[in-house]
Amino acid sequence: MFPQPIQKSSPAAQALYRTSLPFALILWLLPLFAVAITSLRSINDLNAGNFWGWPTSIDLVKNYTEVFTRSPMGRYIINSLVITLPAVAGTLVLSSMAGFALAKYRFRGNLLLFSIFIAGNFVPFQILMIPVRSLMVNVFQVYDTYWALILFHMAFQTGFCTLFMRNFMKQLPDALIESARLEGVTEIGIFWHIVLPLIRPAIAALAVLEFTFIWNDYFWALILVQSDSVRPVTAGLEALKGMWLASWQLISAGSIIAAVPPVLMFFLMQRHFIAGLTLGATKE
Amino acid sequence: MAEVSLSRITKNFGVVEILKGIDLTVADGEFCIFVGPSGCGKSTLLRVIAGLEESTSGALSIGGRDMTRTPPANRGVAMVFQSYALYPHMTVAENICFGMRMAKSPKAEISRRLARASAMLQLEPYLDRKPSQLSGGQRQRVAIGRAVVREPDVFLFDEPLSNLDAALRVQTRIEIGKLHQDLKSTMIYVTHDQVEAMTMADKIVVLNAGRIEQVGSPLDLYHRPRNMFVAGFIGSPKMNFLQVPGRVEGDRLEVHIDPAVAPLSFARPAGISGDGDFMLGIRPEHLVLGATGDSGLPVTLRLAERLGSETMLYGTLADGREINLRADGLSTARQGDLVKVQIPQAACHVFDKAGNTLVNGDLLRMEA
Repeated sequence: MFPQPIQKSSPAAQALYRTSLPFALILWLLPLFAVAITSLRSINDLNAGNFWGWPTSIDLVKNYTEVFTRSPMGRYIINSLVITLPAVAGTLVLSSMAGFALAKYRFRGNLLLFSIFIAGNFVPFQILMIPVRSLMVNVFQVYDTYWALILFHMAFQTGFCTLFMRNFMKQLPDALIESARLEGVTEIGIFWHIVLPLIRPAIAALAVLEFTFIWNDYFWALILVQSDSVRPVTAGLEALKGMWLASWQLISAGSIIAAVPPVLMFFLMQRHFIAGLTLGATKE
Repeated sequence: MAEVSLSRITKNFGVVEILKGIDLTVADGEFCIFVGPSGCGKSTLLRVIAGLEESTSGALSIGGRDMTRTPPANRGVAMVFQSYALYPHMTVAENICFGMRMAKSPKAEISRRLARASAMLQLEPYLDRKPSQLSGGQRQRVAIGRAVVREPDVFLFDEPLSNLDAALRVQTRIEIGKLHQDLKSTMIYVTHDQVEAMTMADKIVVLNAGRIEQVGSPLDLYHRPRNMFVAGFIGSPKMNFLQVPGRVEGDRLEVHIDPAVAPLSFARPAGISGDGDFMLGIRPEHLVLGATGDSGLPVTLRLAERLGSETMLYGTLADGREINLRADGLSTARQGDLVKVQIPQAACHVFDKAGNTLVNGDLLRMEA
């Protein structure tokens, strides 16, 4: 049932594993590598069809500076941060509270509500395009503002995060919460002083995941905003396309710049991924 | 003054009736133990008293005040959980003081109570440690400490020792007993371990399938069980039950255990008018292993367990009925032996077919 450690399989299987793994790895990293190399090339290389060969000149500084001079890249990055950070924070706040209620309170319709949260994840977001846009334009009147993206991402990501949080909190022993309740701690106090510290690994994991999801969103960035002043970096890359000729070297450089924050976020949060924080809470 | 009094408490989970009408009074300062098999409702009953579960019907009062619908924190109770329920991210001191800190008690008061509890439970060396750095016994002491600092009227223990190993269990049992003597609070304690029940309790409540079978002092339940369930549940090893035919002879009831031994004769219990089948109960420790050549009940031994201090003998009668007895640790009886066993009549209990007691043994009276 469980995957066997590779050390226990037959020598032939081990040999196959050892040779195919690097191959698969290279295949998987190749596009990233191509983007990285392209971001160093001159436009002449690309026009001459030199996509994979050694660059004739290394235009690192030129390309990366041009990204910022040819397009409002700095603005886009700030926009992305202004959208992503509150959306992630809001999603985490909502989903941890919803998850707590679903995991630890007995009430009629608990399971139904939880199922709705799960089912929401199965709705293909493309079919929401027109209704959500009308909603933002007509009802909330936040079309082409930061709020459009923040609100949408918060609403849409909370479903998945609630599922995640609820399942994580379900594993916290009930006795911890009951014990605090017996001591007269309020429900908010229990959530704040007992539940939140214990779900830190879950929060960290979700924070990274959600940061990446929301930061990398392209679809809704196209649908819900259009001005440069609010457009996030994913949609902003379009500005680097060039008028008549695709400037792939600039688009590549822009993509690399756009990918840096999620990677930083990962390393920043990494130390919080400590499993087994509940060790010692209860006997087993 | 914290008498706990339950009146017709019921608890349903959906259609499942867990508690079927519990009437019980636990006197102020009493150490009361709920025992019963798994699923009998003893933990649910404790949780109803704590307020963690709401009773479906019935009334509950603590210290004379109605607490049926009072939130748990306002009942003046403190609970120690089987799983300890320590907050893993807090040190021992923080664990103990958490409730008081949340209630914004004055700092001086918090440290006074912490000092008192940690001295009482010998927790001073560990106050800065996290629960994961403590042994099971130490964790349980922290959990008790957290209850002690609340200075509750009533302590509730939910199988607090069942996660400890045998040696620690004995030690912690003694500590809890000492705690009770020191604090003189009312304590209600749930266990399925009858050694704990017998050694610690002022009063034992035997529960079965959501009902109280019997309430009494440990020795009372041991010597005068009201029915076969209590007789079988209290006492280890378990009481022997033999189905026996009985015959009414005037004002006497004669039961015939085996053709090889003379029938036992009891004063005829009220309500018994005719012959019929009865259950005879006798504890393994009250059976006497006869010397070779003695008369007595012939028993073929299937198994002999030598525990050093005693020997447990598991045997069968000629017709296959099982009977076990506790013999001296030096007994030489072996598996396969045919031994003669004497049945002291004073130690015998007689039950009717429904399991209700007709005759209790009168060992107590003989000693008195």
